[in-house]
Amino acid sequence: MKINRRNFTLTGGALTLGFLLGDGVISLTPAEAKAQNLPFHRLTKNQASLIDILGDAIVPGAKAAGLSHYIDHQLSVRHQDNLLILRYLRVNPPFDGFYSASLQAFEEAIQQRYHKEPSDLTEVEISDFITIMMQKNPEFWSLPGHEAPPAPFFYFVLRSDAIDVTYSTMEAFDSLDIPYMAHLEPAHTWEVSPK
Amino acid sequence: MNYAEKTDVVIVGSGAAGSLMAAKLAESGKKVIILEAGPERTLKDLTSSQIHARRLKWSGDLVMENGAQPIGNGFNSGYGTGGAALHHYAVWPRLHAEDFKIRSLHGRHLDWPISYDDLRPYYDRIQQEVGISGDSQAEVWRPDGADYPLPPVPAFQQSEIIAEGFKKLGKSLSPLPLALNSREYMDRPGCLWDGWCDAGCPTKALANPLAVYLPKAKKHDCQIIHDATVTRVLTEQNGKKTIGVTYRIKDGIEITLMAKMVILAAFAIQTPRLLLASAEGGLANRSGLLGSYIMSHAAALVYGLFEEETEPYMGPTGGQMLNQDSYDHKDKRPQGFGSYQWMIAQAVKPNDLLGFGGSNPGIFGAKLTEFMQRAAQHFGGMTACVEDLPQRENRVSLSSEKDKFGLPLASVTHTSHKDSLALWQGAKQEGMEIFKAAKAEQVWTGPLGPMHLMGGTIMGQDAETSVTNSYGQCHDIDNLFIAGPGLFPTSGGVNPTFTVHALTLRSSEYILKNWSSLT
Ligand SMILES: Cc1cc2nc3c(=O)[nH]c(=O)nc-3n(C[C@H](O)[C@H](O)[C@H](O)COP(=O)(O)OP(=O)(O)OC[C@H]3O[C@@H](n4cnc5c(N)ncnc54)[C@H](O)[C@@H]3O)c2cc1C
Ligand code: SF4
Repeated sequence: MKINRRNFTLTGGALTLGFLLGDGVISLTPAEAKAQNLPFHRLTKNQASLIDILGDAIVPGAKAAGLSHYIDHQLSVRHQDNLLILRYLRVNPPFDGFYSASLQAFEEAIQQRYHKEPSDLTEVEISDFITIMMQKNPEFWSLPGHEAPPAPFFYFVLRSDAIDVTYSTMEAFDSLDIPYMAHLEPAHTWEVSPK
Repeated sequence: MNYAEKTDVVIVGSGAAGSLMAAKLAESGKKVIILEAGPERTLKDLTSSQIHARRLKWSGDLVMENGAQPIGNGFNSGYGTGGAALHHYAVWPRLHAEDFKIRSLHGRHLDWPISYDDLRPYYDRIQQEVGISGDSQAEVWRPDGADYPLPPVPAFQQSEIIAEGFKKLGKSLSPLPLALNSREYMDRPGCLWDGWCDAGCPTKALANPLAVYLPKAKKHDCQIIHDATVTRVLTEQNGKKTIGVTYRIKDGIEITLMAKMVILAAFAIQTPRLLLASAEGGLANRSGLLGSYIMSHAAALVYGLFEEETEPYMGPTGGQMLNQDSYDHKDKRPQGFGSYQWMIAQAVKPNDLLGFGGSNPGIFGAKLTEFMQRAAQHFGGMTACVEDLPQRENRVSLSSEKDKFGLPLASVTHTSHKDSLALWQGAKQEGMEIFKAAKAEQVWTGPLGPMHLMGGTIMGQDAETSVTNSYGQCHDIDNLFIAGPGLFPTSGGVNPTFTVHALTLRSSEYILKNWSSLT
């Protein structure tokens, strides 16, 4: 059976989250939160920037799709509302420590190896680094006193998060020429009030 | 301590087993209360998103996982109305006759205390009541049973393309038997083939507890209390009869609910945890086997890219076709021991563990962008459900760590039997050959994924070798029953939920027939 993909109308629904702004909660997509430069609640600015650098190198488009805001938002909700892929992967909540230890390991390993900051890496350098980290811990990854999750595992998790935020929206389906065919569109029920 | 009013039956867990049991007992006039640890969910909560689907997963007390092949509680256990069954994929094949008699036939592992023939009438009745779409004639491997009440799912491009590989290698194929409606049935609509089953089907086309048995139960004297975690099964002082349960609501307040009968349907990890925590050495544990024989099918994942367009987003999430050539004669596999089946052409989305984006984690950067574009139209996949042989040392026990109210957490150890691992390797190998024969441009496989949880409170002939009899009745306590896949002494190589339904229907009738002597 062959169906005509254009039989399905794509509505403009998107992945919206409730972001805390001052006293109120507003509904935005992670990409909008990124574009509006909303403050982070759980991540430091540096951690958010490391997430964007590495996440975007693994899944191009993840930074603009709002990867760091997405992770920051998910870290700030109750476990039962948390939607990070880590839920499936035998890491016990809270998940903040997983990201902070991994990001610190990433930053230190880059500094030791290239004698520069992650934001200054060339495309080739970061790509070489990712090729190593997906297979084993790069040199200087997990230093005594700064133990971190295994690099291949962190790579897998961040890659999955980045695919989630970049490719799960209706717009992303449309760009892949896939009909979304929602029964219930995610935009209406996505909101989670940060506590 | 707060006391609630006394009820006839308290059921712990509102998933596949709990909801069916509640419907049958309430329909027969019993006053039933279901205690459900998770939150209330309605069909309106089943948002079409792979990310939202994660909210349906277990978020009760932590489960500590150990062993070489941990069981994946976070993926496999559900929480809230309907349990894991609320977003299960409805692949509903039957166990085969050999699955019930491995010890008698092969001199290894365990027998069930019943045979396929004992269960067959219950499979037949459930499939009529729930609705299964399939083609029993095309399922050449299927044990005897009534024909399916609904025509099979249509074959979309993905399955037609993969089918070529099976045909070239002389293997058989049939439509996949699915507990979803290929057309309207019992006032529930037909499936729209959009692949959102993992997020939960809100239309009722798929037979989840909110679509079938919970509405039936609620028409009678059945109440569900949500956010109510049962922490203890209570017994008379001599320990021979249960008198109810204690449960905890939000903020840790404990309530005691007195009941004439207690039925534990809290799935394979939490049911044994609860019994282990209910008495020194565990309640109903004369055999010492409470918690033992935890099993989880090994998923063998095979993926490919094909030259033709596959429409991989079309169809049900569970798949479209079935092959069980490697099922019967468990001792005749080229390597390993046991049974497996192929579920072919699952509908996939771009993201999530089972999405095509996650299938090939070695690709990143510009190559990933290219891959996503191509896979969106040319991806194909199939999964083998590989038997996990039961081993006593694979078990749920109480951890030394406790939840915030002092209840010990569940600790689960699982290491696959070497023959199950060999079988899984063999299945992957076969899957790659099939995909190559189907002219896939690229073929790759995924890591071993634990799928479906079974065992932990196994049924058997006697109190020395098992926790319950064939009705799920605890050997030591007449009015304490267990329902669900935790009762399975062996896993077979098929998805468990059809068998869970057949067993639960059989138990409910036994309970009703013997009500006065049991209570
Ligand atoms: C993604 C996915 C896909 C699946 N697909 C298939 C498939 O295609 N075919 C198939 O046959 N099977 C499938 N399964 C497996 C199927 O969901 C289970 O076999 C089935 O749900 C088991 O039924 P159950 O009633 O024992 O447990 P559940 O349906 O999980 O219900 C157990 C309930 O008990 C509650 N509970 C636990 N502890 C307590 C407590 N202490 N107090 C109160 N309540 C408690 C839980 O919150 C839960 O709601 C799938 C599972 C998953 C996760
Ligand atoms: S594919 Fe069918 S069964 Fe699955 S969610 Fe859609 S309508 Fe429901």
